Amino acid sequence: MSLDQLLQWLHDTPFSVTMRESLWGEPIVETIHVLTLSVFLGFVVLLDLRLLDLALRRSRVSEVFQQINPVLFGGFAVMLLTGALLFSGDPPAFYSTIFFKLKMIMLLCACLNVVLFNVTLGRRLPEWDRLPRTPRAVKLTGFLSLLLWVLIVAAGRGIAYVLPPP
Amino acid sequence: MTSLQSVLLEFCRWCNGSSFGHGIRDSVWLFPFIETFHLVALGVLGGSILLLNMRLVGLRFPAMPLRELACELRVWMAGSLVVLLASGFLLFCTEAVKMYGNWAFRLKMLMLVLAVLFTFTLHRRLTLMEEARIAAAWRWLAAALCVMLWAGVGLGGRAIGYVTTAASALP
Repeated sequence: MSLDQLLQWLHDTPFSVTMRESLWGEPIVETIHVLTLSVFLGFVVLLDLRLLDLALRRSRVSEVFQQINPVLFGGFAVMLLTGALLFSGDPPAFYSTIFFKLKMIMLLCACLNVVLFNVTLGRRLPEWDRLPRTPRAVKLTGFLSLLLWVLIVAAGRGIAYVLPPP
Repeated sequence: MTSLQSVLLEFCRWCNGSSFGHGIRDSVWLFPFIETFHLVALGVLGGSILLLNMRLVGLRFPAMPLRELACELRVWMAGSLVVLLASGFLLFCTEAVKMYGNWAFRLKMLMLVLAVLFTFTLHRRLTLMEEARIAAAWRWLAAALCVMLWAGVGLGGRAIGYVTTAASALP
């Protein structure tokens, strides 16, 4: 089965039809997506700013991780779920836009950035946790994350722009 | 029509006809570009406000003094609010007259004024007080009010698009 056929099959599932044809489904899910974004993104930014030594400097990085991560991951789960629901409304249409493809690629990069951080710099966190300044490699991770998330928001905006709600 | 209404309508007409109103309307990509700034700043403001209120009721950063976190977040809150207001004004200028008659937009502006007033006056003073002197009930009340006011601004903003769609569908 080709990707096009898979997208078409998703498009024809009863769930997708319900999502597409319901009057309130799309507005409600999109409202949850955007309202969650408006706090999730802030937590991401604050964390990245801490890695860049630009905010919350008087708390150790380990403490900031510990306090912010649960809320951050909770928010990310809601973003993924509502995002998947929005996508399920019309998979071929979403996939046809360049912004959707870009957004998915950048989302993967942002996740990869987190994984790479955890298996390398994160492992050695106790070594640099007490330093007055974060190491340069840590700053680079924070900067990459910040850049990727701003571009992900821009791409998401782009999708909504070329694919106005029905 | 009262004089306030006519002044507001006149202001909306001026915005609509202004050079940036025209410029953004005539450009394909300027609107989503400015909207991206609006969204990113929204994220920073929303995250900072939620974090501060979670600290106020003791859910996050229990080891950090409330006043310290409040001072730390203040610059990000104020900065993101400035970006939000500036980008929001530019977006408003593209369809200011349409917004004048949009009840969701009016609701959003009302909530915005209340949210800004509350957050930067009473709420701010509370977060700068000596913590031990604030009763738990006051903390929860202030945190709930603050979060609800800002959520109201967000919901009003979401509704604008749908109200516009409904109105433009009329004959």
